[in-house]
Amino acid sequence: MRGRAGAAAWAVAAAAAAALPLAVKNSFFLHVCILVLLWTALGEAWNVLGGYAGQVSFGHAALFGFGAYVTAILYLKAGVAPWWGIPLGGAAAAAVSVPTGLIAFRLRGPYFSLATLAVAELAKLVALNWEWATNGPTGFLITSLPPLTLFGFAVNWESKAPFYLAALALAAVSMGAAAALSRSRLGAFLVAIRENEDAAEAVGIDTVRAKVLTLALSGLLAGMGGGLYAFYFRYIDPDAVLNIGISMEMVFIAVVGGLGTVAGPLVGAVFLTAVGEAVRERFQVGHLVFYGLFMMLVIRYLPEGIWGRARGLAARAGEVRRGAARG
Amino acid sequence: MGALYAMIGIGLTIVFGVMRIINLAHGEMVMLGMFAAFFSQKLWGFDPFLSILVWAPVMFAAGVLVYRFLLRKILPGGELNTLLYTAGLSLLVANLALLAFSGDYRTITLQYAVAPMRPLGIAVPVALAIGFGVAVVLTLALWLFLGRTDLGRAIRATSQNREAAVLMGIDVERVAAVSFGLGTALAGAAGVLLAPSLYLYPTVGELVIVKSFVIVVLGGLGSVPGAIAGGLLLGTVESLGAVYVSSTYKDGLGYVIFLAVLLYRPSGIFGVGKS
Repeated sequence: MRGRAGAAAWAVAAAAAAALPLAVKNSFFLHVCILVLLWTALGEAWNVLGGYAGQVSFGHAALFGFGAYVTAILYLKAGVAPWWGIPLGGAAAAAVSVPTGLIAFRLRGPYFSLATLAVAELAKLVALNWEWATNGPTGFLITSLPPLTLFGFAVNWESKAPFYLAALALAAVSMGAAAALSRSRLGAFLVAIRENEDAAEAVGIDTVRAKVLTLALSGLLAGMGGGLYAFYFRYIDPDAVLNIGISMEMVFIAVVGGLGTVAGPLVGAVFLTAVGEAVRERFQVGHLVFYGLFMMLVIRYLPEGIWGRARGLAARAGEVRRGAARG
Repeated sequence: MGALYAMIGIGLTIVFGVMRIINLAHGEMVMLGMFAAFFSQKLWGFDPFLSILVWAPVMFAAGVLVYRFLLRKILPGGELNTLLYTAGLSLLVANLALLAFSGDYRTITLQYAVAPMRPLGIAVPVALAIGFGVAVVLTLALWLFLGRTDLGRAIRATSQNREAAVLMGIDVERVAAVSFGLGTALAGAAGVLLAPSLYLYPTVGELVIVKSFVIVVLGGLGSVPGAIAGGLLLGTVESLGAVYVSSTYKDGLGYVIFLAVLLYRPSGIFGVGKS
C-alpha cells in the first residue's frame, strides 16, 4: 500500500466512513464510533511526538484540556461558533506548547516524561483554582449550540451525525498530518532524534527546534480534540478534561496500535475504545482494566504494536512472494 | 507526613537504582497497602498499625513475584519500555481495585485516635504521629540493613555499578528481585501506615505517585539518603506553603520545586543521584 494506490484506498475508506450515519441509526454504535475517531485523533497527536520523535509525554491531558477550555470559554463568553472555536482552541494549545517545550525539552528520556506529568498536574491545579477564568471545580456547561444550515439542511445538534462527521474530519486531518510528517524532512529528523539524540545533534540537526515544532503540531491536534470533546459532551471540568487518565489513554492507544505508524492510533483506538465501552456498559467502574492489560501484553509480546506487527508481517510476506517469483 | 513520604520515596529510589525501572505502579502498591489495612480492621478486627507485620512480608513476596514473572522479561527493552509497562500495570491494578472495592471513599476510625495529642501546644493527630514513629523506625532499620548486611551492601553495589557488581560475584538477578520486593514492601507498609490518616479510594495511587516522584527527584534518583531528605523537605514545604502561600496551591508548590530541580539540578539538590 504505497503511493497513489494507498492514498486512493484511504480516500475510499474515508468516503465510506463519511456515509456511515446514513446507513446506521443506532445511536450507541455511532457514539462508540465518535469516541473511536476522537481517540484516533488524540492518539495520533501523542504519536507524532511519542512515536516518531520518541519523546514520551505523560502530560498531554494539559494540551487537550487547554483546547477544551479555550473553545468552551470562547463560545460561552464571546459567542465564537464551534467551527471557529475548535481550531482556535487547537491553535491556543499549540501556542502554549511552544514555551513549555523549550523548557521541558532540556530534559531527556524518563526525566522528560516525569516533567510532563508535573506540568499536567500544575495545569489541573490552576484550572481548579483560577475561578475567574475556569469556574473552578464547577466547570462549564454548554446548554445550546448555534443553529447552522449546511447545503440547505438544518443541522440537528441533538443527533450524533454532525459530531460523527466532525470527529471523522479531525481523525482524517491528524492521520494526514502524521503521514505528511513521516515523509517530510522534519520526520526524518525526528526518527534520527528517537534513535540517537546525540548523533542527531552531531550531524547538525537542531534537535530542540525539531522537537518543539512537533510538540506544537501535537498540541494543535490534541487541542482540537479537546474542543470537539467539549461540544460533544457539552460539559467540561478539571477532572474530566485535565485528568492524568486522559494522558494515559493517549499513550496507550498509540503504543497498543503501533508507535510511529500512521494507522497505529486508529487500530489502537478501535481496539481499546471498543473494548472499553463494552466493559463500561456492563460495569459502572473499572473500564480501563483492559487498557492496562493490553498495554502490558503489547509491550511484552508486540513491542512494535498491533499495526506495526501486521505491517511487518505483510512486508515479509511480500518479500517471500517476490523471492519465489524470482527463484 | 515527611517520614511516610520518605518511606515511599526510598522504595521507588531503590528500584530505580538497581534496575533503572521508573515504577509508575508504585502508587498502586501504596493503595493496596491502605486497603489491606482497611480490610484487616473491618473483617478481622486487626489494629491497622499492627497489620503491617502481616502485610509488609506479603507485599514483599508479591513484589518478588511481579519482578520474577512480569518485569524481568521487559528489562532488556530499555527504560521507556519499562516505564510504559509499569504505566499499564498501574492502570490494571487501579481498575481491578475499582471493580473489587468500588470507587467509594472510605475511612478508618480508631477509638484511641479521635482526639489529637497536644505536645507543646501543637495539635498532632494521633494516627499520623504513630505512622510517623513507625516510619522512622522502619527507615532506620532499612538504613542499617543497607549499610551493615551483605545483601544490603550488594544492593548498594549493584545500584552504583551493575557490571562491577557482577564481576565481584554478586548475584545481580537475586539482588534485583529482592530490591523490587523491598520497594513493594516499603510502599505497602507506607500505605498501611497512611490508611488511618487519609481517605481510601482505588485511584489514590495517582496522587501518591506524583508526590513520590517529586520526593525522589528532589533528593536525586537512585539515592536513599536523598529520598529521605526529599520526603522530609516535601512534607515541610507543603505544610509551610499551606500557611504562608495558600492552601489551594500547596500541592503546586511541590511541582514547581520539582520542575526547577529537574531543570537545574537533575542529579538532585545534594548532587548525589545519577542523572
